Amino acid sequence: MTDLLTPRSLINKIALCLAALVVVMFVCSLVGTQKISLSAVFAGPGDTPGQNTDYDIFVRVRIPRIILAALVGAALAASGVALQAILRNPLAEPYILGISSGAALGVMTAALAGVSWSFLGGSPMAAMAFLFAIGTVWLVWFTGHLAGGSTVTSLLLAGVVINAFFSAVIMLMTSLIDSEQLRSTIMWLMGSIGEKDFSTLLASAIFIIAGITGLFTISQKLNVLAFGAGEAQSLGVNPRRITLVAFALASFITAVAVGLSGLVGFVGLVVPHSVRLIFGPDHRQLLPTSALLGAAFVVICDTIARTIISPAQLPVGVITAIIGGPVFLILLSRYSKKVGNLR
Amino acid sequence: MNPVRNENLKNTNLHPEISNGVNIKVQNLRFAYKAQAEILKNLSFQIPASTFLSIAGPNGAGKTTLLNLLSGLLKPASGSIEIDSKPISSYSVRRLAKKVAVVRQEFVPVFEFSAAQVVSMARTPYLGALAFETNADKEAIAEALEMTDTARFADRPLGHLSGGERQRIFIARALAQQTPILLLDEPTNFLDMKHQVGIYDLLKKMQIEKQKTIVSVTHDINLAAQYSDMVLLLSADSSYSFGPTREILTTERIERVFDVQTFSAQIGQTKFFFPLGKFTKSQSSPPGF
Repeated sequence: MTDLLTPRSLINKIALCLAALVVVMFVCSLVGTQKISLSAVFAGPGDTPGQNTDYDIFVRVRIPRIILAALVGAALAASGVALQAILRNPLAEPYILGISSGAALGVMTAALAGVSWSFLGGSPMAAMAFLFAIGTVWLVWFTGHLAGGSTVTSLLLAGVVINAFFSAVIMLMTSLIDSEQLRSTIMWLMGSIGEKDFSTLLASAIFIIAGITGLFTISQKLNVLAFGAGEAQSLGVNPRRITLVAFALASFITAVAVGLSGLVGFVGLVVPHSVRLIFGPDHRQLLPTSALLGAAFVVICDTIARTIISPAQLPVGVITAIIGGPVFLILLSRYSKKVGNLR
Repeated sequence: MNPVRNENLKNTNLHPEISNGVNIKVQNLRFAYKAQAEILKNLSFQIPASTFLSIAGPNGAGKTTLLNLLSGLLKPASGSIEIDSKPISSYSVRRLAKKVAVVRQEFVPVFEFSAAQVVSMARTPYLGALAFETNADKEAIAEALEMTDTARFADRPLGHLSGGERQRIFIARALAQQTPILLLDEPTNFLDMKHQVGIYDLLKKMQIEKQKTIVSVTHDINLAAQYSDMVLLLSADSSYSFGPTREILTTERIERVFDVQTFSAQIGQTKFFFPLGKFTKSQSSPPGF
């Protein structure tokens, strides 16, 4: 009886993770190709633009980029938690299930249709990303069931196939893009965190925080849903409604994250799994703490990506995949036997 | 052995008034899975409150299907099910979860919830908007753990418990749900003899101390004979018999429904049944056995 969650222990854990995130963001903001002096930053922008380069780099480049990385990490980790609960599968993740490539295909389609690359702020790209993400969820679910129920292997297989198909379509589209856009498009597809203007960041932050808050309100029901639809119904939870809401919100925040950073994989796998090891499986705390620590994880990965081969930069998706790939294999060997027989 | 096949059993339908109020009333119930023959046909019975009913019958007779209909998971093709004199279709998912708790065949989720966390999920229909357990919820959980003698391993992950311990945890969860009706699907499957009797003792205790209506699907006729007040015996041909245990469980009827030669013996008040195979070492065995 000692492990039942209380509001106080939840607040403590959220505060702890928030503190960790703030520390990570602060430390990472000081790391980079260009050395920055904190005292120079605190001295302010100066009288003329460009007078204090330390301040300019810190405030106009590093901080927005770190906030962006944090938003992407929070969205992907929370999306992973929700997908794992409704699919009753610890290997479910927006990238592996092809939802991210679905969203990317939506963005590419909108781009090819002549929409500019600016994201949100009234652009139809966000809507396209979301629609394609939702469509992909349905497609993976449908194909997975055709292949023999929602078992771990059939769903993953469906995700892999749809991912491969969408990647081919995206490649085809990429070849139609003029060469000026090509490099930035490919970097974006590989998952890159670049500069975004303040209004984009604000709008994305509102969408992602709203989506995660929405998922938090159904997090106790996600606990029950982990026992299957029949069990959930016997315990007073409408499984169809909760599944639908969770799928929609997870797809929505994934779509926003993909619009911001392209395809960043494995965050939704590595982070929830690690957090479960620390705090346990209760979704009421797994969801908010995964979002916060997912944010910290991508901030760290992006810091590595922009410094490891400096002055050049790697797409952050490369770093998350290098960490996430082996974790995925370990989890697959651990869980495939256990979840292989699930209906 | 000369079993009588394809003979419809007479519907005994005795409806004895064991106690006040009718908890479950089933009338002219029909159900078929898509593109298959009807598995349940014109099924009618009433289960008085605080009754221990066993549902028995051969494989494929529709026992689990009936349980899923009674728990609202499946919808009947025609006919009606009433819980507490109201049609089951008039209940919301949440309200029905306050009337009926279900213990299904053993299932372990992939996430390592502790036994106490699993039991705490019983309080889902009672939780407020913030979805945290109140003191009343915690009392119900503690009482359920105590009654099922599971408190000592409540902090352990469900997957680390033995089959018998897990089954007790799921019964504790059903108890913490504080419903007047408890449905169980083969609760003693895969358990050894000691744990089979342990689970049924626990169910009987819940019936007596908490005045619960217990509906248990079972393959074990002798457990049904020992513990239940009433029996619903479903046949593969969609006929059925329903009534007090002693009237329904007769050697002749068991031989007919299960299509197996059966011996019976009276021990105390209870009649026990023993199916005989062709190679049984008894007086009637062929030479050499």
